[in-house]
Amino acid sequence: MKFTIAVFGAPHAPGTRRALRFAQAALAGGHEIVRVFLYREAVQTASANLVSPQDETDMGRAWQRFVADNQIDAVVCIAAALRRGVLDTGEAQRYQRPAANLAAGWALSGLGQLHEAAQQCDRLVCFGDQ
Amino acid sequence: MARSMLVISRQAPWSGLAAREALDIALAGGAFELPLALLLLDDGVFQLSAGQRPESLEQKDLSANLKALPLFGIETIHVARDSLVQRGLDIDSLGHPIELIEESRLGDFIARFDHVVTL
Amino acid sequence: MTTLHVVSHSPFADDRLQSCIRLLRPEDGLLLCGNAVEALRDGTKPRALLDEAAAASRSIYALDEDLAARALAGLPEWLRAVDYAGFVELSCQYQRVNGWT
Repeated sequence: MKFTIAVFGAPHAPGTRRALRFAQAALAGGHEIVRVFLYREAVQTASANLVSPQDETDMGRAWQRFVADNQIDAVVCIAAALRRGVLDTGEAQRYQRPAANLAAGWALSGLGQLHEAAQQCDRLVCFGDQ
Repeated sequence: MARSMLVISRQAPWSGLAAREALDIALAGGAFELPLALLLLDDGVFQLSAGQRPESLEQKDLSANLKALPLFGIETIHVARDSLVQRGLDIDSLGHPIELIEESRLGDFIARFDHVVTL
Repeated sequence: MTTLHVVSHSPFADDRLQSCIRLLRPEDGLLLCGNAVEALRDGTKPRALLDEAAAASRSIYALDEDLAARALAGLPEWLRAVDYAGFVELSCQYQRVNGWT
């Protein structure tokens, strides 16, 4: 089956970890992930500036590794990201902000990307904060 | 055939960005002419209450966005009747064209869509 | 046309579980994860609601890691615990997934 995974919760919310474990299990089960889409507070998971204490799981890194290792199409909603301070170089220049912080592997794009993925997948599974 | 989506909005317009960002999903899908519906459930029905003055909280007017739905091909707003009644909202004084759904029909209604996004 | 509902908020602080149970049909499924598994605690109102739903032949599942983390005891016989592979399987088995985010 083809899955789209939408994540809405903050980086260290239990729902964000659950979304990652679900995505890993889907691939392990021989399924395909059409796209991972970060929206609402989840856009912060794509920040390259998250710093976790050594003995804690670094959710940003864990997602980044999953995306890279499995060549996942990984999209961050641009409107939600701008509101929450997650910018790529283009947006940082456009809005004259001091730095870009979008982690490698993620792409900023519009909500249309969620709909496009929904058109291509069999199941859209959404994960919130809790 | 295009896959359909139901957006279920459960948050009041006064609880941060949740209601706005739920509506944005519906508007974005409507812009692509996708088969899409919006259901207001639980506190989501507060989005319909008449005479809102969001400027009092330095907010933009969400009901203007609700009014724009028909321009995006979403003609009616579906509303859970029980949620309205429980919250003391008067069905006859809402500023939007709505279609009420009885509690006993909600499960069937959700099952008419390929995808569901609840916010 | 079946729906898997996924609820993850505590029923003691939030109305998602109650709201979900209202619209759950016999052919639908309910997966409890995160703090929503606290609804399984024996002798509580949420547990009574779940017992009632199960008696009305609703299928109720729980994510095993959340049961384990909370060391929940006295789990009902009608409950089916699933791991992530099981969660994925349920998502395929039901025709859509409604996460109560």
